[in-house]
Amino acid sequence: MKESGAWTEVAFNSRDPLYLQVIRYFKELIATGRLQAGQVIPSRRELGAQMKINPNTAQRAYKEMEEQLLIITEGNSPSRITSDAAVLRKIRSELLADSVNAFLLSVRNIDIPLEELLELVSGKYSEMREMDSRADEGETKHD
Amino acid sequence: MIEVVDIHKRYLRKKVLSGVSFTAEKGQITCLIGINGAGKSTILKAIMGLIPLNSGSIRIDGEQTGKAVYEKAAFVADHLTMPLAMKLSEGFQFMEEFYESWDSERACELMQFFKLDPKERIGNLSKGNAAKYSLLLGLSQDTEYVLMDEPFSGIDMFSKELITEVFASELMGERGVLLTTHEIHDMEYLIDKAVLLQDGVVRKSFNCEDMRSSEGKSVTDVMREVYQP
Amino acid sequence: MNRYLKLVHMEIYRFRYILGGLMALTAVFQISALVSTLLRELSRRELLGENASGSPLSFAWAVASTNFWFIIPMLICIAVIAMYVFWIWYRDWVGRSSFIYRLLMLPTSRRHIYLAKGTAILLFILSLLSFQMVLLLVENMIFNLIVPAELRVESFFAEIIQSNLALKVLVPQSFEQFFYAYGLGMLAVFVIFTAIMLERCYRGIGILYGILYVGACVLVVTSPVLFLGLDESIYYFYPGEILAIASALCGIVLVISLLLGFRLLGRKITV
Repeated sequence: MKESGAWTEVAFNSRDPLYLQVIRYFKELIATGRLQAGQVIPSRRELGAQMKINPNTAQRAYKEMEEQLLIITEGNSPSRITSDAAVLRKIRSELLADSVNAFLLSVRNIDIPLEELLELVSGKYSEMREMDSRADEGETKHD
Repeated sequence: MIEVVDIHKRYLRKKVLSGVSFTAEKGQITCLIGINGAGKSTILKAIMGLIPLNSGSIRIDGEQTGKAVYEKAAFVADHLTMPLAMKLSEGFQFMEEFYESWDSERACELMQFFKLDPKERIGNLSKGNAAKYSLLLGLSQDTEYVLMDEPFSGIDMFSKELITEVFASELMGERGVLLTTHEIHDMEYLIDKAVLLQDGVVRKSFNCEDMRSSEGKSVTDVMREVYQP
Repeated sequence: MNRYLKLVHMEIYRFRYILGGLMALTAVFQISALVSTLLRELSRRELLGENASGSPLSFAWAVASTNFWFIIPMLICIAVIAMYVFWIWYRDWVGRSSFIYRLLMLPTSRRHIYLAKGTAILLFILSLLSFQMVLLLVENMIFNLIVPAELRVESFFAEIIQSNLALKVLVPQSFEQFFYAYGLGMLAVFVIFTAIMLERCYRGIGILYGILYVGACVLVVTSPVLFLGLDESIYYFYPGEILAIASALCGIVLVISLLLGFRLLGRKITV
């Protein structure tokens, strides 16, 4: 798990509230498995320093995530991602729902029946998976 | 909290500040934005008692600014303020002798973080290193407020990155930071509050995250609205 | 008090090379002038065969004969110190680094800065004076080394001082004289300091204010002598009384200069 890289790679946009962007990024990392259940995350200050954002923003994001039960902070120990499977599943489905919505919005104005659409998606999905596995193989070959 | 109330300043013919008022809270990073010559440096210098004002008042934590200001607020100017013949380590000694709020450990930490050589003469520092050193002197004072004048101007990208890291880190703690810039790009994600200056007055002052939440505007967007209506 | 002393130390430390240089310069000029004059005189006497019959040499004579070369370094020292009275302030404003920012932001009363610079100047003057005294002793020893015992005679200290045009003026003969002479000198330094404060506070027209201020002070201090003493037909005051009035005026001018200087530096100064 390349943790240190994960935090510095984020590209923010300047129009959406930063703290929401931070939360969304966390959710992505969870949904894609880069952050595991129960994994320890950096402190608010460390996160702020690595992401190069205002520490108050990191603070607000953490507070919000605690309220959403995304992260757990017990006493003075470092915060960790929740281990609650239900919450984790919810995140996954939330992100998927968002992506699907975004996709549907983008094809809304194109006249296409559902089966054709599903076929297209299925085809592209297989292509993508194949490319991914070839990339993985290529990596292992070079190792 | 630093409270600036209706300050006016005129330099001979030119009226630089015509009633500027704003506040900078502790634990927040407030940024004064404006074109060159808008009076940003003047405001910082006035807060630090380096120039007299024609009228208006400035209070830090409720008290009028006086001699005590110097243990409460540290000022990082946009140029060097130590004798060029001094070595970096001698600069530390000087600060330690005069300021009770001086934290030598932190000074050494920052020295290593910035990779500066204590035996080097201040006059021989490159522009980027000079900026780091000035910042170092300001941050090693354990003060409640830090004022910085154009911390990023004229500095190479890597020095900027280092300095940005310091901003977002521990070393800022619960301090109140007030800085000035005419270029917001490097700072947009770091600041809590923006104060836009033009023609000697404050045109708009707002919390950045609130502006993003409520109106979906970035600081740059608001600047465009205010400065080029 | 502590911070004031630290500031004095800093001012002296910054000037140490120049001070050392002035002392070295003086030593070099005076010793080489002394040695060459002595050697020349000794060989002249030998040539003319005056050694047995000629009058003995004294150190005071040596000093009298080397007036020119002795005085030159002294004049240089005076000139350098006079210029530094201004430069000690302006150096903190001018250049790539503005140390004045740092000085004005020290958590100490600003008058300490003013007084420290004044104290430093006084100490520079006194140290150069003391150095000259010690140098004379050393020169006397050199004289004794070069001139064989039969040809020399001891000189009184007062004699030595009187033999040099500058030393006559600069070395005080009594505590009173020292106090008046060097007190007047320090008064001048503080008047100039306050004039510099005026210039720095009111850039532009400040130079005019500064010059006027110096002029006004000079006028006040010399007024008893000018208006009460020179015209002998108006014998209202004894000379001693005129001196007392002049001294009192000096005291007043000093106090005003200091207070004005403090106030300007404390509230009106601008970087």
